[in-house]
Amino acid sequence: MRKRKSKLARMAETATPTAVILAVLLAWEVVVRWRGIAPIYLPPPSTITIYLFRMIGNGSIEYNLGVTLLRIFAGFAIAALAGVTLGVLMGMSRLVARIVDPWIAALYPLPKIALIPLLVIWLGTGEVYKIVISAVTAFFPIVISTYAGIRQTDRGLIKAAQDLGANRRQIQLKVVIPSAIPSIFAGLHLGMGVTVILIVAAEMIGSSSQSGMGFLLIQSGQVMETEKVFASLVVLAVVGALIIKLQQWIDRKVAPWTIYHGGQ
Amino acid sequence: MEVLVENVTQVWPGRADEQVVALQDVSHRFVSQRFSCLLGPSGCGKSTLVQIIGGLEAATEGRVRVIDPVNPDLTRPLGADSVMVWQTLNLFPWRSVIDNIAFGLEMQGIPKAQRYERAKALIGSVGLAGFDAHLPGQLSGGMRQRVALARALIMERPIMLMDEPFGALDAQTKIVMQEELLRVFDQTKKTIIFVTHAIEEAILLGDEIVVMTARPGRIKEVLPVDLPRPRSLEMVNSKAFGALFDRAFHLIREEVMTSMAQQSMALEAS
Repeated sequence: MRKRKSKLARMAETATPTAVILAVLLAWEVVVRWRGIAPIYLPPPSTITIYLFRMIGNGSIEYNLGVTLLRIFAGFAIAALAGVTLGVLMGMSRLVARIVDPWIAALYPLPKIALIPLLVIWLGTGEVYKIVISAVTAFFPIVISTYAGIRQTDRGLIKAAQDLGANRRQIQLKVVIPSAIPSIFAGLHLGMGVTVILIVAAEMIGSSSQSGMGFLLIQSGQVMETEKVFASLVVLAVVGALIIKLQQWIDRKVAPWTIYHGGQ
Repeated sequence: MEVLVENVTQVWPGRADEQVVALQDVSHRFVSQRFSCLLGPSGCGKSTLVQIIGGLEAATEGRVRVIDPVNPDLTRPLGADSVMVWQTLNLFPWRSVIDNIAFGLEMQGIPKAQRYERAKALIGSVGLAGFDAHLPGQLSGGMRQRVALARALIMERPIMLMDEPFGALDAQTKIVMQEELLRVFDQTKKTIIFVTHAIEEAILLGDEIVVMTARPGRIKEVLPVDLPRPRSLEMVNSKAFGALFDRAFHLIREEVMTSMAQQSMALEAS
């Protein structure tokens, strides 16, 4: 009897969040219809769903999402490569750290969006500008986390490796870098988050490349097609969540030890 | 291999009022193939001493020599003949059991097939068969301790330095590991220097107990332990064991009191 009850309780636990979401959607639908709110201000969920399927049907979601994702991954790849490389170099060499530190200290707090006018002057509003602004923004959290991870290597592990005959190079490759991986991943998560934000924001500014989810949002907004705005937001939210899940899955595959506490 | 510690003093640097004298003028001869226990209150510098012997810390003054009794004129480089087993274990959490154990061989450039073969043999002998691919985080405390022991044993170095290796284990696991270590010592005849603050452990394992004072750490007295080998836990109830315990307890008691007074003073000052 007790076992059954706990099973029921478990089911209720998993079902409740879904029920709350459905209740909110239902309330939204009812309020909009009952009060007769104009769809230009707040379309009901049912209409948004219809528009969403229509936009998928005519291919505009697929195309614009595809373009946005390509830009996101391009910007992220550049930031990840540069950030991890420089972070590791800073962790390995005090000289590199000393040289790079003031630059990071000065540039990190600068809101990167403030660079948009300059980048548009230099690069126009094409692909290069979008990828550069997102890569520059994502670079900072990645390089900072990587450097911190390398520096926070447990002294005990380094001493143990030294005692077991590892030379300096071996200690760096076999101990310091692997032990920094959880911290590097944390930086990559942050970097991915800002890449998504910056790409979508950059797509909203400048009109030379008319594509991407940001463009779709701003275009729909300008002609007051609020249904399309909401449909695009839903797509962005879902894709964002999927990207986070994908990253977590990669983390567990590449660094399974981080699941266990410590290992000491 | 024997270890000759000559007038070692260790001062941790800092401003004049922050300097800590961890060890003061410590001299001792750790005889080849003997099991020596360093017994002292916490903070008396015993960990520092084994790290100096292992070549992992440089002494402020004095020197440590490792001497091969067969070839006594040849002084060996520090650290080359010894291996540490740490209280914090210091296992690499991202490496499987077998890759932790084979770490030292990997650093020597020994091919995978060979180092795995040697690691596998050790995994069996320390009772970890079937756990090759597990990560340290998946193991119990006692099993992790076995991995740490195997990782040191695979180096086949004649001196084993053990820094309170069983300090973090529960009472039962500790007993099992002590028996395991006694077996290893009887079979391999290594020179073992074992840091502990547990009197029973020091008597059960050691051929001699080097009793240290509270900070600054000095050698207070060296107690020979003339219990027969192979040792077993039943000896704890023997009369000889009891007499040794009383001796050691008497020696260590006032040092522990001093150490506790130092710690509470440090707390008040901070």
